Amino acid sequence: MDIKRAVITAAGPEQRMLPLQTLMDRDGVQKTALGILIEEVLGAGIQEIGVVVCPGDQGAYRAAGGAPGTRLHFLEQSEPRGYGHAVACARDFTGRDPFLLLVCDHLYVSRSVKPCAQQLIEVARAEGCSVSAVQATHESKLPYYGAVGGRLADTRPGLYKIDTVIEKPTPTEAEQKLVVPGLRAGHYLCFFGLHVLTAGAMALLTGLVDAAAPDQRVTLSAALSALAGCERYLACELEGRRFDVGAKYGLLMAQFALALEGEDRDEVLAGLIELLALRRQ
Amino acid sequence: MSSRLIPMILSDDPSVRDRPLDACCAGASLSELLGECAALEAFRRQSESLYARVRALFFLYAIHRFHLPRKQGIADRGLIPFDGYEHLLQRRFEEAIASFLQAQASSGPSDAVSSALAVAYHRLAFQTLADQVRRSVRSVRGNQWMFRMGHPEDQPLRIRPELLRRRSGSEPYPVLRERTPVRMDLSHCGWSDIFFLGMDYPEGARVLNVSIDLGVRGRDAATRPPVEAYLRVLDEPVLRLTSIDLGATVDITNLVEVFDFARDYLGLLKAAVIAAGIVPPGLEGSGQSLEHLLHRIVAPARGIEIVSNVNGIPKGSRLAVSTTLLASLIAVCMRATGQAASLTGSLEESERRLVAARAILGEWLGGSGGGWQDSGGVWPGIKLIEGVRAGEGDLEHGISRGRLLPNHRILGADDAPPVARQRLQESLVLVHGGMAQNVGPILEMVTEKYLLRSATEWAGRQAALGILDEILAALRDGDLAAIGAATTRNFQGPIQAIIPWATNYYTETLIARVRAEFGDAFWGFWMLGGMSGGGMGFIFSPTAHRRAQTRLQSIMATAKQELEHALPFAMEPVVYDFAINERGTWAELGVGSDALLPAGYYGLTVPALLKNELDALVPVRRAELDALAEACRSDPDYSGLAHQLIERLIPRLRPAAAGEERLPDLLARHGFDPVHHEQIRADLRSARIGLAQNRLPANTEIQDVRAEDVCDATAPLGSELRAAGEEMLARGAVAAVSLAAGTASRWTQGAGVVKALHPYCRLGGAHRTFIETHLAKSRRTSRACGAWLPHVFTTSYLTHEPIEAFLARQRRYGYEGPLLLSPGRAVGLRLVPMVRDLQFAWEEMPQQRLDEQAQKVRDSLRAALIRWAESAGEGSDYTDNAPAQCLHPVGHWYEVANLLRNGTLQRLVAERPNLKHLLLHNIDTLGAGVDPAMLGLHATRGGCLSFEVIARRLEDRGGGLARVNDRIRLVEGLAMPREADEFRLTYYNTLTTWIDIDRLLAAFKLSRGHLDQTERITAAVRDMAARLPTYVTLKEVKKRWGHGQEDVFPVAQFEKLWGDMTALPEVDCRFFVVPRPRGQQLKDPAQLDGWLRDGSAAYVESLCDWRAA
Repeated sequence: MDIKRAVITAAGPEQRMLPLQTLMDRDGVQKTALGILIEEVLGAGIQEIGVVVCPGDQGAYRAAGGAPGTRLHFLEQSEPRGYGHAVACARDFTGRDPFLLLVCDHLYVSRSVKPCAQQLIEVARAEGCSVSAVQATHESKLPYYGAVGGRLADTRPGLYKIDTVIEKPTPTEAEQKLVVPGLRAGHYLCFFGLHVLTAGAMALLTGLVDAAAPDQRVTLSAALSALAGCERYLACELEGRRFDVGAKYGLLMAQFALALEGEDRDEVLAGLIELLALRRQ
Repeated sequence: MSSRLIPMILSDDPSVRDRPLDACCAGASLSELLGECAALEAFRRQSESLYARVRALFFLYAIHRFHLPRKQGIADRGLIPFDGYEHLLQRRFEEAIASFLQAQASSGPSDAVSSALAVAYHRLAFQTLADQVRRSVRSVRGNQWMFRMGHPEDQPLRIRPELLRRRSGSEPYPVLRERTPVRMDLSHCGWSDIFFLGMDYPEGARVLNVSIDLGVRGRDAATRPPVEAYLRVLDEPVLRLTSIDLGATVDITNLVEVFDFARDYLGLLKAAVIAAGIVPPGLEGSGQSLEHLLHRIVAPARGIEIVSNVNGIPKGSRLAVSTTLLASLIAVCMRATGQAASLTGSLEESERRLVAARAILGEWLGGSGGGWQDSGGVWPGIKLIEGVRAGEGDLEHGISRGRLLPNHRILGADDAPPVARQRLQESLVLVHGGMAQNVGPILEMVTEKYLLRSATEWAGRQAALGILDEILAALRDGDLAAIGAATTRNFQGPIQAIIPWATNYYTETLIARVRAEFGDAFWGFWMLGGMSGGGMGFIFSPTAHRRAQTRLQSIMATAKQELEHALPFAMEPVVYDFAINERGTWAELGVGSDALLPAGYYGLTVPALLKNELDALVPVRRAELDALAEACRSDPDYSGLAHQLIERLIPRLRPAAAGEERLPDLLARHGFDPVHHEQIRADLRSARIGLAQNRLPANTEIQDVRAEDVCDATAPLGSELRAAGEEMLARGAVAAVSLAAGTASRWTQGAGVVKALHPYCRLGGAHRTFIETHLAKSRRTSRACGAWLPHVFTTSYLTHEPIEAFLARQRRYGYEGPLLLSPGRAVGLRLVPMVRDLQFAWEEMPQQRLDEQAQKVRDSLRAALIRWAESAGEGSDYTDNAPAQCLHPVGHWYEVANLLRNGTLQRLVAERPNLKHLLLHNIDTLGAGVDPAMLGLHATRGGCLSFEVIARRLEDRGGGLARVNDRIRLVEGLAMPREADEFRLTYYNTLTTWIDIDRLLAAFKLSRGHLDQTERITAAVRDMAARLPTYVTLKEVKKRWGHGQEDVFPVAQFEKLWGDMTALPEVDCRFFVVPRPRGQQLKDPAQLDGWLRDGSAAYVESLCDWRAA
């Protein structure tokens, strides 16, 4: 499986500004969140990047992308019809090829030498099918994520064959349909915000978009649910963590995670300890 | 030795597995049975199978209860270790069993210790079953997370956005309405919907269950789904719960109150909120904030309002109204929080199943329980619900043979064609007979008999399964006459073979009268739910249907009127209109001007709002009232609201019901002594009398009697004694006195009926009252000795007129001898109890602890009752009830004294100069009678009073025969200085007393010549009464209200008791030990089944002659 393109969605009305936030990366260099994401993609060996944006956001994003920003392809989502619709806006860009999909409001911090995106792409190449990165997540966080149910695949640890995909399930539904053997009680495999999807997945998604009423929102999870029924579709736990920069203190936590994994680790740790030591009771 | 019984538990071969225990035990010797017990005890301890453990426990129970006591060689008396009893009360069943077994090992097997072991095994068996059902419900997928969640921040549920949408801040939030039909069962195949039956015998667990809409005939214009649940968002951070039918509403602001079920009438709504995951059970005791939780689920500073309504459908309808309401509330909560795919319309099958599982959870939380078919109304139409074998992947696999939750197969047009459905509606008359009884004991009996494979029960169960197939076939054919024949056969055959108590005299009367009036047009009777008397069905030819609806109303009303003093009726009978509901539970969303709650809600809440200026109302409330006003003008559902509001705002002065006497008149008529009453009140308030003061001083020495202190009459007495007694009978030297002043407090949990008139059991082919039974014994004795025995029934304010009228209607049961009533001459007025006494009763005195959740509910209820006593005024008159429920009889000592005061004794001795002895006994001592040999014994021994006692069993609580500071006397249980004292006493007081009339009169300082001197008698009675202790007791009294609702209050009253005559030094008392069947009492309907099975009923029948001349 040859994965040449990546799609970053950034058209959500509440997420539009998040990629433009500034952070220090692992190397202590100031960058936008979008810039860090682009580096993640490039680090995985992908050169063609499509960014789905609201009409009129192109300039700001191109600037935020830094030097590689000039290579970005901008794809407009003309009306807010849900995440699935946003991804489907990239159908011409991805063509009949598999592609890497990322969300703009997440940052990934790898715990191995390989970036998270690279880890995922290697799994997808090896398995030759769609693979979604997942993270075991406590049930109290279910209202924020899509979640999958399935069972361990035999080929490698942390790899699961997906049977069911549900967008933001209640714990009631999760317990009935998404329990995965091997996870701790009350934990479910929730999406990490990174997927490698085949052309088949895009076809299912565009089918749903085309069939939906003009005012109907379309989720990616609906298409992925259908995908699990007609193609081999895997979930993979990566060595790394995702950070939702749109959550309360999400940007701060992402910054800490990046800094603590990078060369300024000691300086940041010392600053934190000082803060704690001087904290008033 | 090798066990013959364990293979019956382990075998897969039905011919072994289904062998009745009774048959296996009948021929075994005492040592063989003890060997079996030891083997079963070891087996149940090591077995990992739930089913095997439970069945072994029931075998052990049955052997100790029914078989060992009859075996040659077992000691007929013994002592039960008190520490074992304490373990039993605290639900430490294993420790209790160990203690009792140790007593058996050290003192040898005895009737007493076997009675204790039987109770311990029985309770452990049911505890094991309850634990398993609870585990299964908790582990149902979809429920587990609720038990893990312990902090509001972890609450994953969110209110659906549709419920937060409104056009402006002054508009009320949308209202989500869930409407749910109730279920009725065309057959439950011998209560096969009991959880354990379904889990153990899934092949036999089958129920034909129909969802129906209801209307009360003559009241409601049309049928509708009777159960409604409503939910909306509030602008305040509170959980507001309202029950329209119970007239209760509360704003809850803290989590502790959500888990306080019995604090108010809203326990069911609270259980639903918890079982639906809005306030998950894991939050109990977390110390967290409800506002925080609501913030998480809804929004900052927002809350939730939940309203329930059952449209006045009465309690005890046997249509599972309360379970359906729980299910409806859970459904609306689940929809509102995204736990159902669809906010409106119907539910998906998996969602219905989860609602049913959560309703079971909610029932457990609320300390109640039903069958697994009770949520059937959530499903549409007619369905066959069947148990399912647990397979791999099921949580029950390896634990029980069947799954907790059954399968629901909705019958289509092939199985139940439209014409059959139409005919069902045109033929069935659905009624509520007015009785509301506790079905719990019946469900326990069914489980027990099933596990013991009692031969008649097992045959009945198999027959019921066959009848269900017949009903299914008849439904396919639309043959309602065949259905009627099958349901009647089911009721008269299998159902009563399994549980004779499923029917009662009232039901049989109705069936007979309907049959007599309608002949061939009456196609059959159909028992709904657990027992008859409440919800019932009568099937008629469609041509007679309309007339039958009208006539049944009056047939039931007449029968109820005749029996209302004999049986506990909770309400007037009603006839329902009904229609099959083909869509099951269904939800709609009301927005804008349609966002209204039902009219009853506003009838309850608007009066409080109107006390404020309209302009002072918050805009949302104001807008809602505007919409309501418009609805009152245009919507028929709201058209009666104005009238309802006037009734609430200006309540009518309550006139006495027709025929109901006012309390002051009743008091005056029944000899109420206000001076004495004030003295009692003052003593109670100053703690001179009270529950703690009932006890003898702590330094009192209580010892068991010695062998020489009693006369053993358990073996056949000599022929000379019999001959002497027969001679006295023949010359009219004796009369029988049955104490019939009681109001059946324990028998009916304070319903205030006449126990003497209760048709408690079918004997000799018909239901018999206690009075009829005693007369039948006297008839037999009279015929045997050739002279008619006078029989006196002592009465009280509550029982006199009903007994008099009843006997007149029954033509005195054809009793040929003198039959007299001895009316009461004293009455007390009940008092609101002292908190001190409530606490003593509930905290100091030993009592049975309940299962974990039921105990929580009981504790919550008790806290509420203590608040009630404080607010009503401790020691004040209890007057907030029907007048007759505020009075009380003042103890059976007075019933004897009344024989003197009211002239009954004078009349007897005047008519029968030879009369020298009386036999006095309780109305529920059914084996007591004028046995010639016992009479001879009493006369020969020459005592003034000869009391009959029996060897004690565990259930015989309430005193006994003792040496008290070395004097032999009877001690009441409430006078025991220490609870453990009673367990050192071998004999229990039956109260049956042989009285030498002249010596008794002498004890009163009277003679026969004084019997016409009223003042002298009055003074003598007063003097004697003053020498006897006055006991304060707490009695439960029911207050009825609404549609079949009943509250039970503990009230204080005082009593003087007959047994205390033994404490008077000048009264010469003798004590005879009699066989148990002669001396045992029937105090509780739950005893009846054992009484029937252990030979006691047959013994009583052998004493009776039912045939009048």
